[in-house]
Amino acid sequence: MNTYPLKEADQIEPVLFVKNLSFGYGHRLVLQDITFSVERGIICGLLGPNASGKTTLLKCIDGVFTPKDGSVHVEGNSMSSLGRRDVAKLMAVVPQQTTVVFSFTALQMVVMGRAARLTKFRLPSTHDYHEAEAALDGLGIADLAGRFFNELSGGEKQLVLLARALFQDTHILLLDEPTSHLDFKNQFMLMDVILDVTKKKHLATIISLHDPNLAARYCDRMVMLKSGRLYKEGLKDDVFKENTLEQVYGIKVRVENTSHGTSVVVPEQR
Amino acid sequence: MKHHKMAMFLATLTLLGVVIASLALGRYRIDLKTLAQVIFSALQGDNGNTILATPSMVLFSVRLPRVIVAVMVGASLSVSGAVFQGLFRNPLVSPSILGVTSGASFGAALAIFFAGSSAWAVGSSAFLWALIAVFLAYQIGRRGGNSVTSLVLAGVIISALFTAAVSFLKYKADPYNQLPAIVFWTMGSFNSVIWADAVRVSSLIALGLVCIYILRWWLNPMALGDEDATTLGIDVPRARFIYIFITTLIVAASVSICGNIGWVGLVVPHMARIIVGSDHDALIPFSALSGGIFMLVMDTLARVLPGGEIPVGILTSLIGAPFFAYLLITNERKGEWQN
Repeated sequence: MNTYPLKEADQIEPVLFVKNLSFGYGHRLVLQDITFSVERGIICGLLGPNASGKTTLLKCIDGVFTPKDGSVHVEGNSMSSLGRRDVAKLMAVVPQQTTVVFSFTALQMVVMGRAARLTKFRLPSTHDYHEAEAALDGLGIADLAGRFFNELSGGEKQLVLLARALFQDTHILLLDEPTSHLDFKNQFMLMDVILDVTKKKHLATIISLHDPNLAARYCDRMVMLKSGRLYKEGLKDDVFKENTLEQVYGIKVRVENTSHGTSVVVPEQR
Repeated sequence: MKHHKMAMFLATLTLLGVVIASLALGRYRIDLKTLAQVIFSALQGDNGNTILATPSMVLFSVRLPRVIVAVMVGASLSVSGAVFQGLFRNPLVSPSILGVTSGASFGAALAIFFAGSSAWAVGSSAFLWALIAVFLAYQIGRRGGNSVTSLVLAGVIISALFTAAVSFLKYKADPYNQLPAIVFWTMGSFNSVIWADAVRVSSLIALGLVCIYILRWWLNPMALGDEDATTLGIDVPRARFIYIFITTLIVAASVSICGNIGWVGLVVPHMARIIVGSDHDALIPFSALSGGIFMLVMDTLARVLPGGEIPVGILTSLIGAPFFAYLLITNERKGEWQN
C-alpha cells in the first residue's frame, strides 16, 4: 500500500536515537534497555500487547518522563540537555485523547501549536491564526475551524490534533494510538492522512498502534515491545512474521498475503 | 472576534455608567449636575467653591476611593478565578482553592485577637497570612507530586487547618468586641476604605492584572492539561508557579482590604466565559471588566439599600447566586459542563 519510495539518504541519517533506554515507576521497571532509531520520511510503528510499554516509551521520547537509564538523542541533541521549548520545536505529539474542559474552537486548538515558537510574552498574531487556518485546510478540515473541539467526532478530533502537531512545524511526529477511538473507516482515513503528511513533509513519524494489520499496511519500520523489552525492530517485512507476532501477542497466528500485495495477520482457527 | 470586541466595548461603557451612578448615589445624594460641577472644578484646581465643599468632600474623600477599590477588588477576584479555573482545568474552582482566604481570615482574626482592631494591623496580618497559607499549600502540593490534584488537596488541607485556627480564635475571643469584629471581617465590606489603602492596594492589584493580561494567552495550553502543555513547549511547573504567585498577591491584597468576599471569583469568570468564550485572550480582560462592574454594583447596593449598610459579601451571594442560576438555565446548551 505504501507506494512512496524511501529516500536513500534518510536511511543513513536517523533524526531520533533511542539508546539503552530504561524507565520505571519506583523499583518496578516498565522499560528495559530499548535501543532503536528512526529516520525522516518513514513511519515507525510501535507494537506490543497492553502494558508492554508503548505509551511509556513515547512519553520517554517526548520527555514527559525522564528515563532512568540510557538516552534519547534528537537531531544531534541529547534530550536531557534541552528545555521544553527546544523539545517542542523538534518534535510534536498527538495525544491519545484530549478531553478539554473548556470550549476551545478547533482553530484555537491548532494555534496552540505555535506556543514554542512565539516570543515570550507574545500572543499569536492574526498571521498565526491565518496560518493555523491553512494548517486545517491542509488536512481538508478548514470547515471545522469555528467548531468547538468538544463537539467534534472522534475522527475530527484526531485530525485537529494532528493539524496542531503539524502546525508545530517539527521534523518528528509522535502519535499515541491515534486510531483507538475511531471506527473502521475513520482508522484508514486518519492513517492515510498520516502517511501522506509523513511523505510530503518528510517527517520521522512514530506511531503506537494496537492493530498489527494497520501497522503492516502503513508502517515502514516496526518496533515490537514485549513486557517492557524490545523484542524485535527493523523493516516491516523483517518484523511482521508469524513467529514474532506469536511470541509478542501470545496467540497462534497466520500471516497471509492479500491480492493487493500487503500482508495481514489473522488468528488461527480454534 | 468582532463579537468579543463588541462585548468588551459594552462592558467598558457599563463600567463607566456604574462608576458615575455609584459616585452619585448614597445617603448623601449628589445629582449629576453637581457631580459634573465638582469634577470640573476639581480638574481646574479650584477648591474654594463653598457651595461645592460638602459634595466635593463626600465625592473625593469617601466615595471615590471606595469606588476605585471595589472595582479593583472585583477585577482582581474574578481574573484570579479565571486564571485558577484554567490552571486547575475546573470551572468550579475559585481563587480560594489554595487557602488564600482562610489564611487571610486567620491573619485578620489573629490581629483582632492580639492587636485590637487597628485597620492597618488587621490588613497587614491578613495579607501576610494569606501569602503564608498559599506558600504552605504550594509546597505541600509540589512535594506531593506537583499535579493539579495534589495542589487542590494541599489547598483543602491548608484551608481546613486555618479554618480550625480561626474557630479557635473565635472561641477564645472576647465575645463583645473581638468576636463581632472577626465575624464582620469575614463577611467582607468596603466600609472602611480610605485613600491610603486605595492607593496601596489598587497599585498592587493593577500591577498584577497587567502581568496576567500579558501572560493571558498561555493559559490556553495550560488549560489543556499538563502533558499537552508540556509537549507544546511549556515548562508547566514554572508557568503554574508564576500564575499562582501573581494571583495570590492580588487576591491577598484584595482580601486584606475588604475581608472575604466570596462568589465573585467563582462565578464572574464563569459568566464571562458564557459571553466571550473560553479563549483566555478575551476571557481575562472581559473577566476584569465584568468583575469590576459586578463588585461595584453590589457595593453600591450595599450602601443604598434601605435598612442601613450591609456587608457586601452577603449581597454578592444573595444576588449573585440566583443570577447565576438564571444564566445556567438559559445557557444550558453552551455549557462548559459536558465531559
